[in-house]
Amino acid sequence: MIKRFSRFFLFAAALSLLVPGPSAVAGQLTGVELAKQVNVGRQLDGSEMLSTLKIANKKGQTRIRKMATVSKLFDNGATERRLIRFVSPADIKGTGLLTFDYENKTDDLWLYMPSRKKTRRIVASQKAKSFMGSEFTYADITPPSIDDFKYEITGSATEDGVDCWILRATPKNESIADENGYSKRDAYVGKTDLVVRRAVYHDRDGELWRELTATDVKLVDKDKARYRAHHMKIVNHQNGRTSELLVEQLNLRADIPDDYFTTRYLERD
Amino acid sequence: MDRMAELIVKGRWIIILSFLALTGAMATQLPKIEFDPDVKSSLPADMPSRVSLDRIEDLFGGTDMVLMVIEADDVLAKDTLSRVKALSAGVERMPGVDRVMSLFTMKDIHGEFGDMYVDPAVEKIPKNERQLKELRARIKGNDMVYGSLVSEDFSATAIIALLKLDAQDLEVKQGLIKLTEDNPGPGKIHLAGLPVVRTNISRDMRQDMSRFMPMAILVLLVFLFLCFKQLRGVLLPFGVVVMSVIMVMGLLPLIGWKIQILTILLPIIMVAIANDYGIHMIARYQEKNRAGSGMTSKDLAKDVFKSMGKPILITAVTTMAGLLCLTSHIIISAQQLGILAAIGIGFALLASLLLIPAILAVLPMAKPLRQLNDGKNRGLIERLLNKNASMVNHRPWTVVLVLVGFVAAMGTGIGLIQVDTNSINYYDAGNPLVVAANLVDEKLGGSTSMAVVAEGNIKDPAVLREIDELEQALLALPEVDQTTSIAKVVRQMNMALNDEDPEFDRIPDSIEAVAELFLLYSFSGDPEDFDRLVDFPYEHALLTARINSPATKATSAVVNFTRDYVAERPDSRLVEVGGFAVLFSDLVDAVVRGQIISLLLSLLLVGLFVGILFKSFVAAGLSVIPIAISIILLFGLMGHLGMELNMISAMLSSIMIGVGVDYTIHFLWRYREERFKGMDARAAIRETLTTTGRGILFNAASVVVGFTLLLMSNFLPVRFFGVLVMVTISACLIGALMLLPGLVLIIRPRFLEPKSLGGKK
Repeated sequence: MIKRFSRFFLFAAALSLLVPGPSAVAGQLTGVELAKQVNVGRQLDGSEMLSTLKIANKKGQTRIRKMATVSKLFDNGATERRLIRFVSPADIKGTGLLTFDYENKTDDLWLYMPSRKKTRRIVASQKAKSFMGSEFTYADITPPSIDDFKYEITGSATEDGVDCWILRATPKNESIADENGYSKRDAYVGKTDLVVRRAVYHDRDGELWRELTATDVKLVDKDKARYRAHHMKIVNHQNGRTSELLVEQLNLRADIPDDYFTTRYLERD
Repeated sequence: MDRMAELIVKGRWIIILSFLALTGAMATQLPKIEFDPDVKSSLPADMPSRVSLDRIEDLFGGTDMVLMVIEADDVLAKDTLSRVKALSAGVERMPGVDRVMSLFTMKDIHGEFGDMYVDPAVEKIPKNERQLKELRARIKGNDMVYGSLVSEDFSATAIIALLKLDAQDLEVKQGLIKLTEDNPGPGKIHLAGLPVVRTNISRDMRQDMSRFMPMAILVLLVFLFLCFKQLRGVLLPFGVVVMSVIMVMGLLPLIGWKIQILTILLPIIMVAIANDYGIHMIARYQEKNRAGSGMTSKDLAKDVFKSMGKPILITAVTTMAGLLCLTSHIIISAQQLGILAAIGIGFALLASLLLIPAILAVLPMAKPLRQLNDGKNRGLIERLLNKNASMVNHRPWTVVLVLVGFVAAMGTGIGLIQVDTNSINYYDAGNPLVVAANLVDEKLGGSTSMAVVAEGNIKDPAVLREIDELEQALLALPEVDQTTSIAKVVRQMNMALNDEDPEFDRIPDSIEAVAELFLLYSFSGDPEDFDRLVDFPYEHALLTARINSPATKATSAVVNFTRDYVAERPDSRLVEVGGFAVLFSDLVDAVVRGQIISLLLSLLLVGLFVGILFKSFVAAGLSVIPIAISIILLFGLMGHLGMELNMISAMLSSIMIGVGVDYTIHFLWRYREERFKGMDARAAIRETLTTTGRGILFNAASVVVGFTLLLMSNFLPVRFFGVLVMVTISACLIGALMLLPGLVLIIRPRFLEPKSLGGKK
């Protein structure tokens, strides 16, 4: 149930479903196929990114964090490694996070704390849990295990001016539902770019829970035709909180050295 | 006076019909009456502790909490714990519930091999002895739950629901009850917390109201019939009481007020006081209605109005003034009570002066009473009055000295008075609410809480240390066993990150080191975990200390300690001491101060009224004496008997002024009248004590009898109130029928001497 995770800066990259696939074939496309395409399409061989996470409560008070991220695919795309460095606020500037996001096992995650000059592994979290105090959950930022859900394309709709499939994911059993925190998710996936423009989550009681909107979609990898939304906003309808992720800069970078993704490098100030 | 009397008799039908119409119109308002049992709404919006509570709730969410306590041999046993889990999940889903604190929602922050773990306090329900032992050990090491959410002997655990600001008490309580029914299992379930107390108070208030009113009316009817032995002596004062009760209760929805805990006294006060005037009118009617007097019913009606109109008008106006002094009270419901009671008295006055003579003029003559006409065949009351008159006339000094001595002896109890304002104390020891509250106080840290707000950069170690130091100081108090604060959590995280090394059970040294802890926590905890400890931008932090006793004294001790602590540190970042504890503590001051002020005011007013009326300072002084002695008696008795002064019993003294002043004025008025007619002092005393004295006695007795109804209330303080009213009204009676005549005979004040005799010789 409790799964170690990593993949956290994924945020931008991921919000799991947001990516274009090379072969968005209409016609007899099944739900599972579409889900797989979305998963594959979210991968970038290597990237560098500047982003801002803005968390707001019901009263409109905000917490803002700026992060610089590099990422790279390992093991033929089965593992994605990321290194995040916090740029602001001042009290966590220099703090670093290293994540190994595995395809088939619990993710690894390390936090480097410069004031203590120590790295600590971060342990234990459910996918339904909030990611870094935001309204995004771990489930939002790691690609779903395809086998855990039933997928169904329930129709088409226009989102943000783009023709989209409506892809419904339903957990296959209670414990998967518990772990992911939702009973149903409707994702509006762009038919040509495979970017999730909107996702609506219903909680375990079937009540409307959270709603994600993704805009400012840009082509990031021309060769593989991979697109990314540069602005994501999630609204929690139950507690009135919202979180936003703004990608200020995102470049494809295949040449990042492998040793960037080590705890040794993490501890370099 | 004469012309008015003529007018009343002439317009008798108009008067009767308009009173009936007005009462009928007001009666239509009665179903619209609403109840408001909230203690907070009784406090003025600008009172510092209420402002502070509002501010705390604005920063950290509602502070109102309901506790569901599960009591069992071992709450960690599989079946019991499964039930607790189901209940906790159920409470989380209830509308109106903002946040739940239970073994299943609270976290366990612990460290191992250099890593910090954040897990639910109870992750899995133990399936065997080994797991049970492990869980017990883990909970014992978890400061956030041990001793507060689960008792140290594991015989009780609490599910605490913090309510949303707009939560409906009753809905929450009913939801909880249904939840326990839907989830049967081992363990005994108790509900505690102010919202539950409030709903019960609201329910019991309604119950008391519907139980008291018909009975009060019945008791009054029987009593008046025993006094007057004539139906009109029963029906007329009774009619006035009913009408004024309907009038004043009907007024509530019209002016948008609700029935509050104190408003419950209103009908009772009306029953007790509103019949005064009618009784005096009927007493006079019977006195004048003698065989062979040759008076018609219209003549009698005119005489009753002419002779009693003035003293009744004066006593009623004085009473109203006394009651209106309650508007100086800090507690809003006390102010409302004063205003409503004054309006009710005003209506009773009009009804007595206009309606009663009008009806008497319509009714055929009553049969003259034998007891009053036949000197030899007097009734018990008449004989008693005569005996009293003889005693006062023969030994005025003895009577005065004995009474003064007695009052002085009782007065020594005043210093012993305790003040109490916690609404849980409205109930007896066996009440389920009290049982639950005691359980929470003894085993789970207490249900009353005090809050201290710190302002500044909460990640700054200097601020955290200030919070921590106060927290440690509070924990050293005998009244505090449990505290929560962000400082405590920071210490715990710091220690967890260092393999539970006690050396790291402290606040780290830099802002960055603290910020890292919060960042680290954000990867494993829930974002709302610290909602009640620190606000969103980390600018305010809340330290909560739970007080392990419902006694206001304990609360005040903690609050005063904290206020002194903060006051000694002028540069402190601890900016606010608040919470329900402070509210209660301030309520004590409000009650006592409000009482002293309204007492002094009404004594002054009564003295002033009577002084002007009789154009004499001595009169002013004399009028205050009977009231003053009954106030001394009241508070002295409360001190000696250990009855606590609370919101309800504090109201007593002001009301008493209204009642006591009646007797004084009626006595003085009649005595002067007889003296001016030429009677000597002793004869005038006897005449006054057996005529007006009869009215006064009926009056006092009816009040005492009416208030006995309060003894049936569910509320301990209301019952105390009943006893105390009976005692003090009796004191007023003795003051007016014994002390006052004794003093008049000794002093022979000039204002009571006939002018033709040239005053005192």
